[in-house]
Amino acid sequence: MIASRLLSSAALLMLLGGCALSQNQNPREGATLYERLGGEPGVAAIVENLLYRVADDERIVGYFLNTNIDYLNGSLQRYICAKSDGPCRYDGPSMAKAHQHMGLADADFNALVEHLQGALIEEGVPTGARNRLLGRLAGDYAEVMRHQGPPSG
Amino acid sequence: MNAGFFPKLSLLAATLFITSQAGAGSRLPGTGGVSSIEGSAGGGLSPWGMVATTASSEEAGVSIAYSLADTSDYRLDVTGLALGFDNRLELSLARQTLDLETLGGELEQEVLGAKVRLLGDPLYRLWGVWSLGVQHKRMTEGETLARAVGAESTSGRDLYLAGSKLFFGAAAGRNLLANLTLRATEANQGGLLGFGGDQNDGHELMVEGSLGVFLDPSLMVGVEYRQKPDNLGFAAEHDWRDLYAAWLINKHLSLTGALLDLGDIAGLEDQRGGYLSLSLSL
Repeated sequence: MIASRLLSSAALLMLLGGCALSQNQNPREGATLYERLGGEPGVAAIVENLLYRVADDERIVGYFLNTNIDYLNGSLQRYICAKSDGPCRYDGPSMAKAHQHMGLADADFNALVEHLQGALIEEGVPTGARNRLLGRLAGDYAEVMRHQGPPSG
Repeated sequence: MNAGFFPKLSLLAATLFITSQAGAGSRLPGTGGVSSIEGSAGGGLSPWGMVATTASSEEAGVSIAYSLADTSDYRLDVTGLALGFDNRLELSLARQTLDLETLGGELEQEVLGAKVRLLGDPLYRLWGVWSLGVQHKRMTEGETLARAVGAESTSGRDLYLAGSKLFFGAAAGRNLLANLTLRATEANQGGLLGFGGDQNDGHELMVEGSLGVFLDPSLMVGVEYRQKPDNLGFAAEHDWRDLYAAWLINKHLSLTGALLDLGDIAGLEDQRGGYLSLSLSL
């Protein structure tokens, strides 16, 4: 019984390890996350896809009514480029400042994550790169949600 | 159709009617777990750290699940209902019916559960999500058998601390979900053979854990392990383990299948078999 237990655990680990190995043989390995996202044209396509999804989402489109969409588009591209180790510097407002006092709820953050995931899938970003980017951006949650609620005074 | 079919159908219809106004959950599919055999949100065997359904803060959700486990000598039917409020509080109710196919007879138990999220988020926080939960269990059939094999009582309470964390891209580029549950219990075979016994009196700490990989956003495969107490002298009780696959069909529907290894149960050895669970979430 113990032997079969070890066997099945080993099989599962080997399956995961084998997948990791095959990824190392992929010419993409060694490339930055930015390159795996498709570089500049890739990120541009992702952000455009994302913004279309947001525009279609009546739950959150209201947050963007007073936003300069072209500026937001460029800003998001620079942000993602910097976040994915690309050759960009993001010098826009911090995530906390950019989202302060908007009254955002978790549902709003969740919606954006979902739309980003959808955009990454539709733009054909490989699974590993997609999950890595989502992981890095998911970590922004604390900053994005830091100053919610109306300004005091 | 068995005797329980119409009550189950009525429960389903009532739930659909009452909760048709509930906000659709905004959390990503899979982040509410599936329904455990005790009704709490989690894996099949254990409660996890997240609150039931994909409802997030300022939202409410309900899920109902029907699960079936079939091993060499036993068959378990579970109907479960779980409510999630504000991503903070979970209430659950499950009815378990164990058909003693070989020994003859039936055991039944009701589990009333409550879980409170203490802190965190499985996706958005470094430390994941942590919750404290309680499961009040009460045998509703077969109490005589439970006492006959040495159980101290036919109702009891489990207390647990559960944590869950999703690691993005951690398993060959796939997302990895890790869960850990620490449970204080004196339930025998989860409570179906009563609580406490001649070999031990009082709650003991059990460790339960699981690892799952999202092969893609709608398909998760993983393993679960649940340590068990061994309170009854008449027969050994073994730890449970399974290998599962959960298909998140859409935001509302999920189907989970598993291969079970439940060890010896009430003297009948090597209980292995299959598990199937269907969950509907609103």
